[in-house]
Amino acid sequence: MTVHIKSHGDASDGAFAEAVGGRLSRVDGPAKITGAARYAVEQQLDGLVHAVLVDSTIAAGRVRAIETARAEAAPGVLKVLTPDSIVGLRTASDWFGTPPPDKPYFPLARDITFSGQHVAAVVAETFEQAVAAAALIEISYDETPAIVDLNDAKAGDGIPVDAMTKEWGDAPAAFAAAPVRICAAYNTPREYQAPMEPHGLIARWEDDRLTVWEPSQWLDGMARTYAEWFSVPFENVRLVSPYIGGGFGSKALALSHGAVAAYAARMLGRPVKLVLTRPQTFTGYGGRAATRQTVTIGAAQDGLIQSIVHRGVNETSIDGMWVEPLGSVTSIMYATPNFSSRQNVVRVNSVVPGAMRAPGENPSAFGIECAIDELAYEVGIDPLEIRLRNYAEQDPHARKAWSTRQLREAFATGAERFGWAARTPKPRSMRDGNQLIGWGVAAGTYPVRRAHGEAIVRILADGSVEVESSSIDMGQGTYTILAQTAAETLGVPADSVVVKLGDSRFPRAGVTGGSRLAGVMTGAVYKAATSALDQLVGLAISDPRSPFHALQANTLVVANGRIASPRGDGPDVSIAELLSGIGLDRIEASGDTMPANSTAEDRYKNYTTISMALPHTEGDYSRHSWCAHFIEVRVDEDFGTVRVSRVVSALDSGRLYNPKLAESQWKGGIIMGIGQALLEEGIVDRRHGRIVNNNLADYLVPTNADIPDIEVISVGIPDPHSSALGGKGVGELAIVGVAPAIANAVFHATGKRIRDLPITLEKLI
Amino acid sequence: MTNTTISVHLDINGRHHDLALEPRVTLLDALRDRLGLTGTKKGCDHGQCGACTVHVDGERVLACLTLAAQVEGRAVTTIEGLAREGETHPVQAAFLEQDAFQCGYCTPGQIMSAVACIREGHAGSDEEIREYMAGNLCRCGAYPHIVSAVRQAAQEAAS
Repeated sequence: MTVHIKSHGDASDGAFAEAVGGRLSRVDGPAKITGAARYAVEQQLDGLVHAVLVDSTIAAGRVRAIETARAEAAPGVLKVLTPDSIVGLRTASDWFGTPPPDKPYFPLARDITFSGQHVAAVVAETFEQAVAAAALIEISYDETPAIVDLNDAKAGDGIPVDAMTKEWGDAPAAFAAAPVRICAAYNTPREYQAPMEPHGLIARWEDDRLTVWEPSQWLDGMARTYAEWFSVPFENVRLVSPYIGGGFGSKALALSHGAVAAYAARMLGRPVKLVLTRPQTFTGYGGRAATRQTVTIGAAQDGLIQSIVHRGVNETSIDGMWVEPLGSVTSIMYATPNFSSRQNVVRVNSVVPGAMRAPGENPSAFGIECAIDELAYEVGIDPLEIRLRNYAEQDPHARKAWSTRQLREAFATGAERFGWAARTPKPRSMRDGNQLIGWGVAAGTYPVRRAHGEAIVRILADGSVEVESSSIDMGQGTYTILAQTAAETLGVPADSVVVKLGDSRFPRAGVTGGSRLAGVMTGAVYKAATSALDQLVGLAISDPRSPFHALQANTLVVANGRIASPRGDGPDVSIAELLSGIGLDRIEASGDTMPANSTAEDRYKNYTTISMALPHTEGDYSRHSWCAHFIEVRVDEDFGTVRVSRVVSALDSGRLYNPKLAESQWKGGIIMGIGQALLEEGIVDRRHGRIVNNNLADYLVPTNADIPDIEVISVGIPDPHSSALGGKGVGELAIVGVAPAIANAVFHATGKRIRDLPITLEKLI
Repeated sequence: MTNTTISVHLDINGRHHDLALEPRVTLLDALRDRLGLTGTKKGCDHGQCGACTVHVDGERVLACLTLAAQVEGRAVTTIEGLAREGETHPVQAAFLEQDAFQCGYCTPGQIMSAVACIREGHAGSDEEIREYMAGNLCRCGAYPHIVSAVRQAAQEAAS
């Protein structure tokens, strides 16, 4: 639970900053800039002890023996845990809620399927003692050959994922008959979310009740997993996650290190803190799977697409399943009468890959948005023009109208701001001294994922307002936009609203992922606040003690925390005065967006699994956010170094609840996209199947010096089919299309088409 | 417990602290685990990310690469000690105004670096700010807004 002292308006915004759509500064900002914001694992608990993990150094095989005696004898050590010492845990259901197999769960492994798998743990009085003792543990293995990555000769073609197949028309025949044909393979490597706050937790048991302080994108989902592991009722597990130091998809699920810490806490009867080391964050959970795609396009001489044939492969782990949907953008971005997309997954000795910003759409767009650029050059048409010629007027796959699609506006606005018209099409035709200049364009999209949420809104005796929800804020601005929603709906200043998030005791919310939370929770808070306002006005009219009672008004107006009659002919009192006058210390209303008649079971399923999310093509419309990126690169002709020097992106996320915060998220997505295009790649040691650059000095994420000024422009309009207040998705969208825009710009600069990310200098010289 | 603790006297944000620590305890862990000063963040524990940046005698230092015992007798300033008499430091205010952060986890380190960057005279241009702030990673990608905030605070300091 979190209480923010004070909210700050942006001085330039005027009073409207506080309403939905205003540029209110983050209400959690003062706590974050002063160091007062206490993140999950920063709780200071009495009796806290520290756990450190020991991981496998082989990628495949079996643990033969674990020598623990020296560690057990080391100063301060309370317990050494091995695969054999954790007994009695049960396998939990997956995030779809699929009933789990009835078998034990072993968070420490004896059978090894990837390098970095947790094998042992040491718990000691201090962090330093635990680290020192962990180094004394010796593990011997029976090693077997590993499949180190997609390129491994043993990897094979993988397993077809039939659910990913999308086909209409006769794509192979239409391709064979097309006058212009292009075919290319596009590869993306393993990439890592690398949030600045490492994963970790503090677990504490009180009898059979477990409290977990853990950075989480999904309190109720993680609580469900802990409850199932430890065979305790869901209600007995409390997740607390007041601030989250970045997630990008990686903090949605409870992970094996959480089971180890919670088990140790129960065993020792003391709160246990366990935080992954930075290297462990590369194997303690999965990053984005490496992918391979081939895109073939058949077109007419005028650039009109006649056929797209797409084949994709992503890696998954030996015993887990991750599908990175590679045909998601391919199948909707352009109109085509013939289409075929299929996908396989290939098992390799890796931790199971996971969600990373725009899973599926991101690599999918890299394929199709590079391929259309290649087609543009093949037929001699401007890369922007060819996108407009093949513009999809409706969803070509679902064959439904777009709810809203401001992509034409994005192309037009972005092109104008960027100055696209001045581009000379020929590669290597623009330069500045020894720097080759390239201008590239690409589009992006992300579906509008919708779900349901609950909130409580309370009007307190002093006229202030409380909002509670078990949803979270990892930087997207949930605290702020929910304060704005409650303030606008109730007619109170935003700084009189206190938003409390990040505690599973609060009204429930589903996963914060897929850019769904803002739409879900503004809807729930709007509903709860409307209900609270109705109660307030109803009491003001009907309660005999109310000064408005004699007025016989049908309704009253609440603005700036005061209540008055619409005509201004009656009393004008503050909310606090009214409540005191009618003898109430609070008005409370809950609101949820669940369908009427939902059962308790429906609700549990909705909040603890993703199985009840609404399809983005439900009903008459296909709902997506859209964007167009215009990017300038400068390539050193001698050294092949690529620098992004200018970015203009125009984006359609529908209505923005707070443009100041949305712009920050967009820019963040673009910056992560620059990293993906030029820097980021998990490098596998082929002898041992290890990620060798498992740290922030060797796995390169963008630094401040890598990033130019970025201009983002909102071209969205309110989309009533996507959410209660008209917004679509923000957080995932902007990364989609950045890497292809950069690859296309590099081609324009150099004449070299790099189809393997990242675009590093050795690929250019 | 070990019998190798030493007595360490620390001056943090103008307050004196006497601690009994093992010599291997870093300044970062002393701040976070022993003194409850959790504003200084641990992002990598290897001097790669900058989240743990504090000032030692006014210079920016990575607390994860500094042993607590090394800063005896030296003035340590953390994010909690930056505000003066309840007033946020101009760099803090600029970060809020420019929305120079999202998740907030790298923010204390960014702000401590920014204060030093300005004081060092390395905030003369956007290019210079980008270079001298490049040791502080931000995965949310707030860099353009961080540059704006540092520029704003530097201009305020100069005026």
